[in-house]
Amino acid sequence: MAVTFTNALPVAFVIGTAFGFALERAGLGDATKLAGQFYLRDFTVLKVMFSAIVTAMLGVFWLGRLGVIDLAALYVPETFLAPQVLGGLIFGVGFIVSGLCPGTSCVAAAIGRIDGMATVGGLLVGVLATGLAFPLFAAFYASTPFGAFTLPQLVHLPYGAVVAAVVVMAVAIFGLAERLEQRR
Amino acid sequence: MTISRRLAWGALALGLAAPLAGSPFRSARGRINIEETARLIADGEDHVAPLDLAAWIRDRKPGLRVIDLRSPAEFSGYAIPTAANLPIATLARASFAAHETVVLYSEGGAHAGQAWVLLKALGVAKVLFISGGLVDWYVEVMTPRLPANASPEERHAFEAKAELSRYFGGEPQTGSAAPAGAALCPPSGQRPPPRLADIRRRGC
Repeated sequence: MAVTFTNALPVAFVIGTAFGFALERAGLGDATKLAGQFYLRDFTVLKVMFSAIVTAMLGVFWLGRLGVIDLAALYVPETFLAPQVLGGLIFGVGFIVSGLCPGTSCVAAAIGRIDGMATVGGLLVGVLATGLAFPLFAAFYASTPFGAFTLPQLVHLPYGAVVAAVVVMAVAIFGLAERLEQRR
Repeated sequence: MTISRRLAWGALALGLAAPLAGSPFRSARGRINIEETARLIADGEDHVAPLDLAAWIRDRKPGLRVIDLRSPAEFSGYAIPTAANLPIATLARASFAAHETVVLYSEGGAHAGQAWVLLKALGVAKVLFISGGLVDWYVEVMTPRLPANASPEERHAFEAKAELSRYFGGEPQTGSAAPAGAALCPPSGQRPPPRLADIRRRGC
C-alpha cells in the first residue's frame, strides 16, 4: 500500500500508538527505570534502543535487498555536527533531570504519571521557546553540514558489512548487559 | 531456549548474511556537488591531455586505471595500451578504489565526458577523461607532427613527444613528409584522417 498524503496521518497514528504501547510494555514509562540506565543498575533502555535499531536496520536492509521497499526513497536526516552534539548534550541533561525522554514522557503522561505530564509540559514550553528564539542561533543551527551522512559512508565499507558489524556489536552488548544485571 | 535468545540468534544470522547479500539499493544512486563539479570543469581539472596520459602509462603511474567505454567489438580493434574495457552501460556495476586515478575515454569525447559526470556522482574521487577521445590519442600520441617551419625550441620539444610516440609504436612525422613507415603501408598512407578505421589499420 502506498502511503499518500491523505492516509499518512492515520498510518502515523497507528505506528505512534504501537510505539507507545511497546514503550509502556518495556517499562519505559517509569522514570526510575530510565534513570537506572545512567547508574548502570538497569539496562532496559539500552536493550530496547538497541533491539529497535537492530530490528529496523535488518528490516530496512533485507526489505530493500528483496525489492519490497525502495531504499533510496527513504528519508535520511541530514547531519549538522556541532549543533547536533550540543543538542544531544542538552537532551541528555534533560533526560537525567526528568528521567524521561520525549517518547517516554508521553507514555508516562498517558498512564497518569504526574512527572510525565510535567515533562510533556516542559517539552512544549521548550519547543515554543526554541521556535521564538530561533533567529538568534539560526547560523549555528545550519553550521558544520555533512548532508545525509550514513555509517557506510563514514567507514568506507559496503552497507552489508556495516549491518553485520552493528548486529554483532549489539548482540555482544546484550549478552554483557544480561550478565551485569544477573550479578546484581 | 528463551524467546529473546532465539531472537538474538535470528538477528545474528540475518546480520552475518548481510555482507554476502550485495547492495540493498535497487539501482546505483549518485549525489553530485554541482558547484564543485562545475568548478572542476571550468578549471580544466576534469580532463587529461593524451600526451600526459601516455607519459603516465609509460612511467607506470601508481594507481592509474585506464577505461575504454566503447563496445567490446570496438575495443578488440584497437585500444590504448593498459586500458580495460568497461562499456558505458555497465558503469554503475563497477567499483573503484580510493587510491585509483581513473582515466576514461571513448571514440570522440562525448561518452567519456558523460561517464565522468556519472562517476563524480557515484563519488569516485580521482577521475579524468580524454576530451578528444581515441581520435586525440591517435593524432597527438600515435602520429605527432612537427611543422616544416618549426623553430629549434619546437624541434627540441618535439623530440620528447616523438620518443613517447615510438614507445607506443607510433609514427612521428616531420614537415609534410609521409610517415616513416609509409613504405610498408598502402599508398593511401599520406596523412590518414584521424578516424578509428585508420587506427585499426595501424599494424599495416
